Amino acid sequence: MDYMQSIILGFQVALQWNNLLFCFIGVVIGTLVGVLPGLGPVAAISLLLPTTFHLTPVSAIIMLAGIYYGAMYGGSTTSILVNIPGEAASVVTCLDGYQMARKGRAGPALGISAFASFIAGTIGVVGLMLIAPPLAEMALKFGPPEYFALMIMGLTILTFLASGPMWKALLMAAFGLFLGSIGLDGMTASARFTLDIVELSDGVGMVPAVMGLFGISEVLLNVEQSIKRSVFETKIRHLLPTFQDWKDSIGAIFRGTFIGFFLGVLPGGGAVISSFVSYAVEKKVSRTPEKFGAGIIQGVVGPEAANNAATGGAFIPLLTLGIPANAVMAILLGSMMVHGMQPGPMLVQEQPGLFWGAVTSMYIGNVMLLILNLPLIGLWVRILKVPYPILFPLILLFCLIGAYSLNNSVIEVLIMVGFGILGYIFKKFEYEAAPLILALVLGPMLEAALRRSLLLSAGSPLIFFNRPISGVLMLISIFLLAYPLIPWLRRKRAILPQVSDEE
Amino acid sequence: MAKFNNDQVSAAIWIAVGIAVALGALRYGLGPLESPGTGFLPFLAGCAIALLASIGLIQSTLKRRKGTGWTPILRGVLWQKPLLVMAALFAYALLMKPLGFVLCTVLFIGFLLRAVEPQPWSVVLFGAIGTALGAFAIFNLWLKAQLPQGPWGF
Repeated sequence: MDYMQSIILGFQVALQWNNLLFCFIGVVIGTLVGVLPGLGPVAAISLLLPTTFHLTPVSAIIMLAGIYYGAMYGGSTTSILVNIPGEAASVVTCLDGYQMARKGRAGPALGISAFASFIAGTIGVVGLMLIAPPLAEMALKFGPPEYFALMIMGLTILTFLASGPMWKALLMAAFGLFLGSIGLDGMTASARFTLDIVELSDGVGMVPAVMGLFGISEVLLNVEQSIKRSVFETKIRHLLPTFQDWKDSIGAIFRGTFIGFFLGVLPGGGAVISSFVSYAVEKKVSRTPEKFGAGIIQGVVGPEAANNAATGGAFIPLLTLGIPANAVMAILLGSMMVHGMQPGPMLVQEQPGLFWGAVTSMYIGNVMLLILNLPLIGLWVRILKVPYPILFPLILLFCLIGAYSLNNSVIEVLIMVGFGILGYIFKKFEYEAAPLILALVLGPMLEAALRRSLLLSAGSPLIFFNRPISGVLMLISIFLLAYPLIPWLRRKRAILPQVSDEE
Repeated sequence: MAKFNNDQVSAAIWIAVGIAVALGALRYGLGPLESPGTGFLPFLAGCAIALLASIGLIQSTLKRRKGTGWTPILRGVLWQKPLLVMAALFAYALLMKPLGFVLCTVLFIGFLLRAVEPQPWSVVLFGAIGTALGAFAIFNLWLKAQLPQGPWGF
C-alpha cells in the first residue's frame, strides 16, 4: 500500500462520526487539563483510560492521543495568563509569555502560540507519517539484543537529561525496574514479590503508579502552601498575530518544530525537554538575547512549537518499535495492550486502519484545536479563576475513581495513594519520577529481551556488542553514562585537597 | 545544624532498600547466565539501587564536608494540610465499599472542602452533594463504571 492509499484509508477511518466525536472529546479534555495547573496529560490519560474500555481500539487511541497533544495547546494559556505552567512542557512559556501579557500583549502571545502549536503539530504528524513506516520495516530485523539495547538507551537518555544528579535518576530507573518485576515472571509464571496479594500477580499497575506519582503528589505539594493565583486581568484582544509577529516568529517556529520532533522521537526525550532546548537555542541564535525573559515573542513560539512537534515524534518509537518514548506513551502502550493490540513493527502491516486512522486523526485534531482554542480562551480563563481549594478535591476524586475502575479493586486505590505519598517524598528529596515510570513500563519487556538474548548467546553478554545495531546503541548508552564522570572526577580532585585542608 | 544532609539520609535509606530487594530476589533463584532465573533481574536492580545509592552517599558526604547541611523539608509549608489529604485518601479507599460511592464521596469532598482550606458551609454542602451525584451520573450511569454500591444501593 503506497502513502496516498494509506492516507486515504486513514482519513476514511478518522472521519467516521464516532472517531471525530472522540477526537473532539480528546482535544477538549486535553486542552482543559493543559489549562489546569496540577493535572497534566499523564494523569488525565490514566484517569480516562478505564472509560475507553468499551470503545473500539481506534476510537480509544484517537481520544487518548487527542488528550496528549491537546494538553500541549492548553498549557500555554495558563503560562501566559497566570505565570503558572498548566503542564510541565509549558514551564518555559511562562518566562516570556507572562511578560508579554504584562505588557498588554496577552492576545498576540496566545494567538501566535496557538498558530505555532498548529504548524508544529501538523509538521510533526507529517514527519510521523513519513518516518514511521520505513522504520517499522527496519525494526522487523530487530531481535532481543537490539530491543534490549534500545530500551537501555531510552532509559539512559532519560536519566542523562533528568535534572539533578545522575545517580538519583539512574537509581529511580533501577527502582522502576524492580517495581516492574513484581508479579508473575513472564517466562516461568512464578510469582515474585507479590506479598500474596492477588492484584499484584499482574504486576504493579502503571495507571495507579502514574496517577499517584504525578497526580496525587502534585496535589499534596500544592495544598501545603496557600496558592493565590492571579489571572492576568486584562481584555484579551488582537488574538490574530500581525505581519511583524509572524516575521519575528516564523524562524523560531520552524527551529522549535525541528528540535521538538527529533527530541520527541528519542526514547527518553519528549515535550518537556524539547521546549527547554528550543528556548536555549532561540536565546543563542537571537541578536538580542538580553530581551529573553522580558517578553520576546520568539521565547514563546519556539518552545510551544517544540512541545507540539514532540508529540508527533513521540509516537514513532511506540508505533514502530512498541517502545514508549515517555510516560504518556507508556500509558498509551498500556491502553493499546488492554485493547488487544501489540504496538510494534507489525502494527502498520496488520492493522493499517488503526495506524493510519490514529495518525490522520491528529491532523484533524490539530485543526480542531486551532479553531477551538482562540474563541474558547475566555472560557479557559474563567476555569482558571476556580480557586484551587475547590478544584483539588475534584482532581483527587477523579484519580480515585480512575484507579478503582481499572479492576473494581480497592487495592489499586491503595496502591495509587501509596505512590502519591511516595511521589510527594520523592519531590521533597528531589528525585524525579519520570525515569521510574519509564522503567516500570519497560521493565517486563526489557527483562524478556535480556533473558532471551542471554539464552541465544549461551550466557555471553557480548551479544549486545557483537551485533551492529545493538552494539552502537550500547556504546551510545555507555558514553552517556560515562560523560558526567569526567567533570565529577575533576571536581572530586578539586574537592579532596579542600577536605584535607579542613581536616 | 543536623548531622547529615538530605541526600545522605535518602541515600542511606536507598542502600537498605537495594540490599533488601537483592536479598529478596535471591529467594527466587538467579539461575545460570545462559538461562537466567526468576530472581535475576530484580537481583540486578537491587544491586544497582544499592550501588548507585552508595555513590550518592559518597558524593553527599563530600558535599556535607563542604558545608551542605540538612534542608528542612517541612519548613515554611503548611504540612498539616497534605497530612489531612493523605488521611482522607486512605479513609476513602477503606470506606468506599462499606459506605458506597455516593455517601463516601459526599463525606470525602465535604471534609476536604471544610478541613483543608475552610469554605463556607453552603459551598461545602452544595459542592459535596453536587459532586457526588454528578460523578455518580457521569461514571456510573453514563460510562458504566461499576462503582461500589454500599448497603443503600448507590
